[in-house]
Amino acid sequence: MTRQRVKVKRRNEKFVQRTATRIWQEQASAENPYIAGSCRCHGYDLLELMSGRSYVDVLYLLFRGELPGKDESGLLESLMISMINPGPRHPATRAAMNAGVSKTDPVHILPVALTVMGGSHLGAGEVEAAMRFLRKQGGSDPGTLASELLQNPMPEQGEDWCLAPGFGRRFGSAERLPGEIARRLAALPGSGAGLRWGCAFADALAAQRLGWLNTGVVASVLVDLGFHPRDGAGIFQLLSAPGLLAHGLELANKPVTAMPYVDDEHYVIEKR
Amino acid sequence: MLSKNGKSDTRFWDAQRGVIHSSNGGWLAGKGVFCHGYDMLEDLVGKASYFQVLMLNVLGYLPERRLADWLEAAYICMSWPDPRIWCNHIGALSGSVRTSAVAASVAGALAADSSMYGGRTFLAGVDFIQSALAEREARASVEDIVANELKRHRGKVKIMGYARPLAHGDERIVALEEVADRLGFRVGRHLQLAYDIEAILQRDFGESMNICGYVSAFLSDQGCKAEELYRMSVLCVTSGVTACYIDAREKPPEAFLPLRCDDIEYRGQAARELP
Repeated sequence: MTRQRVKVKRRNEKFVQRTATRIWQEQASAENPYIAGSCRCHGYDLLELMSGRSYVDVLYLLFRGELPGKDESGLLESLMISMINPGPRHPATRAAMNAGVSKTDPVHILPVALTVMGGSHLGAGEVEAAMRFLRKQGGSDPGTLASELLQNPMPEQGEDWCLAPGFGRRFGSAERLPGEIARRLAALPGSGAGLRWGCAFADALAAQRLGWLNTGVVASVLVDLGFHPRDGAGIFQLLSAPGLLAHGLELANKPVTAMPYVDDEHYVIEKR
Repeated sequence: MLSKNGKSDTRFWDAQRGVIHSSNGGWLAGKGVFCHGYDMLEDLVGKASYFQVLMLNVLGYLPERRLADWLEAAYICMSWPDPRIWCNHIGALSGSVRTSAVAASVAGALAADSSMYGGRTFLAGVDFIQSALAEREARASVEDIVANELKRHRGKVKIMGYARPLAHGDERIVALEEVADRLGFRVGRHLQLAYDIEAILQRDFGESMNICGYVSAFLSDQGCKAEELYRMSVLCVTSGVTACYIDAREKPPEAFLPLRCDDIEYRGQAARELP
């Protein structure tokens, strides 16, 4: 069946004439309207921020619109240090290393790795859901909720299990470091209800060898600092970027043989 | 699960260490290159089309040539060299700052992984038409199916596959219908229902089916699942992105829609001193 040719016409939506931003103001220089003479971030002059505030403060300012207090800044900086490197076994880091050793143009190493870091398992794609989970469940009793969720059927043996966004087990066990990081972050003066609730929830799961995942730790801090869930994925990628890039570049100057290549004896083509 | 010595049972992961189990195929030096049971160089090169092999890698079986030809035609409909389209715009911006052609093209493809346009829309498009057909075959009327869908969106025509963004009407459907006719495809149950829904939306709202709705219904009739169609369309926008990259790349840097400082409207905090 072929119908008659349709008449196509534009909807004439009203698009804005100029893009608007509340974040950044560029004042044109006197001699050239395309060249900025000054830049302000949420009203603060960039050059003054350079000399007067830390990188962490300005990062917070970019997203939240106001400079952080000492406690908020301290919490964010501790989180940034704790998440600076997913480690050489994380699939995103391995992607960076794989690109590096195979002589991918170095400008692509970080985008490649961050794309992999966008996954919904152990990656940025899980953080928004974890933030929404923490915001929604923050008023509930963590022990009761844990008992309810544990009624759900467990996965087959040999699968990671994410009981709730940001909480689960890997390789059959609860992860140790995220739990310890969360405990230390929760002890900082900038921490809030998100971290406290998350720690209690993780404690209630511990007997089942479940606990914090890194995604949950980041989500809880971002909730405590007042970030919107939509910000979570990108900030998680940002936090992990230094480690991803460092590992990729470490391999970039080495021969292609510097990483394992599975030989034919260990490459099994399965029949369907 | 804990083993008897109190340690976690990691036997599943231990069995995967250092070994790749592929369901697809691969290159075994001296033996050949295999793809879902085919010897790629003996059975496919020069004998199957690129789109047949693309579909083989997604579906796990080699589709008939005419279906691959139809998909190739659909790809042409889903990418054209207009830099106003969002993914193509990114290609042009990439060209203006001299990225590589590959970086520009994959950036555009990534941008089109969108709920508004590009291949991701097929996930909802296929879900809708397949659910609608299930309802229809459970004796719901087409009028009821449309009414229920409108109710879910507070009376607005927000049915994936209908009401094209930016324009009324979609000339690409006519082009693809002609290809389908020429290749000998008949209208199946999904596509017929899609037309019936369109007739109601046209009558009541002046809205018509868009290419997402047509492709979703057509390929549902060919047995495709939503995720399969999404996977077959991963690069559907890239040729237009590359074209827009090249156009900008061959002009002076930053010549693509340059912005003066006052072309951005600042609505934030007034200038203030650091505390």
